[in-house]
Amino acid sequence: MRGFRALLLGLYGLALAGCASTASPEALAAKDPYEPANRNIMVLNQEVDRLVFIHTLERYRALPEFMRTDVHNLLRNLALPTIFVNDLLQSKPGRAGRTVARFVINSSIGVGGLFDPATPIGMPYHGEDFGQTLSVWGAGEGPFVMLPLLGPSNPRDTAGLMVDTFGIDTTNHIHFKQHFWWAAGRQYLNVLDLRSQTFDTLQGIERSSVDYYAALRNLYRQARDNEIRDGVANPAAELPDF
Amino acid sequence: MSTPFSLARRTLLATALVVPFLTAPALAADPAETFVSDNIQRGLALLNNKTLTPAAKRDQFEQFLTGLTNLKRIADFTLGQYRRSASPADVAGFESAFQNYAVSVYQFYFSKYSGQTLKVTGSTQRAPTDYIVSTQLIDPAKSAPPLEVSFRVRTDGAKPVVTDVSVEGVWLSLQQRDQFVAFLGQNNGNVKLLISHLSELAKQFRS
Repeated sequence: MRGFRALLLGLYGLALAGCASTASPEALAAKDPYEPANRNIMVLNQEVDRLVFIHTLERYRALPEFMRTDVHNLLRNLALPTIFVNDLLQSKPGRAGRTVARFVINSSIGVGGLFDPATPIGMPYHGEDFGQTLSVWGAGEGPFVMLPLLGPSNPRDTAGLMVDTFGIDTTNHIHFKQHFWWAAGRQYLNVLDLRSQTFDTLQGIERSSVDYYAALRNLYRQARDNEIRDGVANPAAELPDF
Repeated sequence: MSTPFSLARRTLLATALVVPFLTAPALAADPAETFVSDNIQRGLALLNNKTLTPAAKRDQFEQFLTGLTNLKRIADFTLGQYRRSASPADVAGFESAFQNYAVSVYQFYFSKYSGQTLKVTGSTQRAPTDYIVSTQLIDPAKSAPPLEVSFRVRTDGAKPVVTDVSVEGVWLSLQQRDQFVAFLGQNNGNVKLLISHLSELAKQFRS
């Protein structure tokens, strides 16, 4: 296991050597000055995925849908305290109130969050994170980066993820025996759940794209902008005239 | 959502006030909504028609798509800055390859939603001949939230056409342009290679 970790670190280190390569004019125009390294990291991520993660994912996707839905609901419920804090930081008291209501209803009637009775009664889930909070506060996204294992991101969202995970997430401040394994297990389940939800979509994009890396980069940026706007269309947004 | 509705109504009022001063033909926001609603529902019904053979379905879907959109216009946009430097023959070849690719890929993806219902939720007029129509795709069989889909409708030609589609905030033509430009950037601007790649993908989705 130690040898595998060392090999993985070495391979990602080599991938980062792509930073020394010059980005193309197209990459610079796409605010992706580290494109050569990013592309290398994506290829490595796909290999690690194929060798290590995909077998677990296949077994997880073979589980009955209701079990995967329960896990999905539980994980979303655990994320609500973090979402609540970010709702407040973004001065969205209405959304913060709905987050609290969802947490109370789903934790009680929803049996600890396994079920989601809040959505059918007009309180659907919404996501917020510190990366979005930074954007609302005026922080630009910066250059595109492909993170080892975690995938597409940018400096703002990466910093936001660190703050959420090590600062805002209240469950990480409750120390108990085996807390590390609880936290690691939860993050692993989060990744498994997200991959399960997006597996077919990403496969379809990979299958139909002429440049999967560029497709992911654009998809991440547009989807992220949509999240930051809370899904509300921005009619004044610059759409190219064609 | 209430915001697009109130914005669409305010936009409609503003449009009514300035209509006498517009020089380009304008389509009121409601007709843009009707255009999308009628046509997209027709497309979904076509894809859901189990009496058609695969070949007949593809032919009818191609006719539907070319009637609803201006694929040449979208193709030229997705070439980005390479549109200027490509030869007329390469541009024509690319437009043809893009049409085949779009028909094959869009038919594949829209078929996944063929049993669903389209509900128009509002529209916005961005410019005299530029509309965004917001809709939801609702799956009656599942309790999953509806899918937010928007259509960009342009009315600056002989008839209204859809020039772009966004699913949950991701505009398809923007994504395709980024991909194609990145591909050409990685391959010395070789449009013939892009044409070959698109043709191969179209074949894979047809089979």
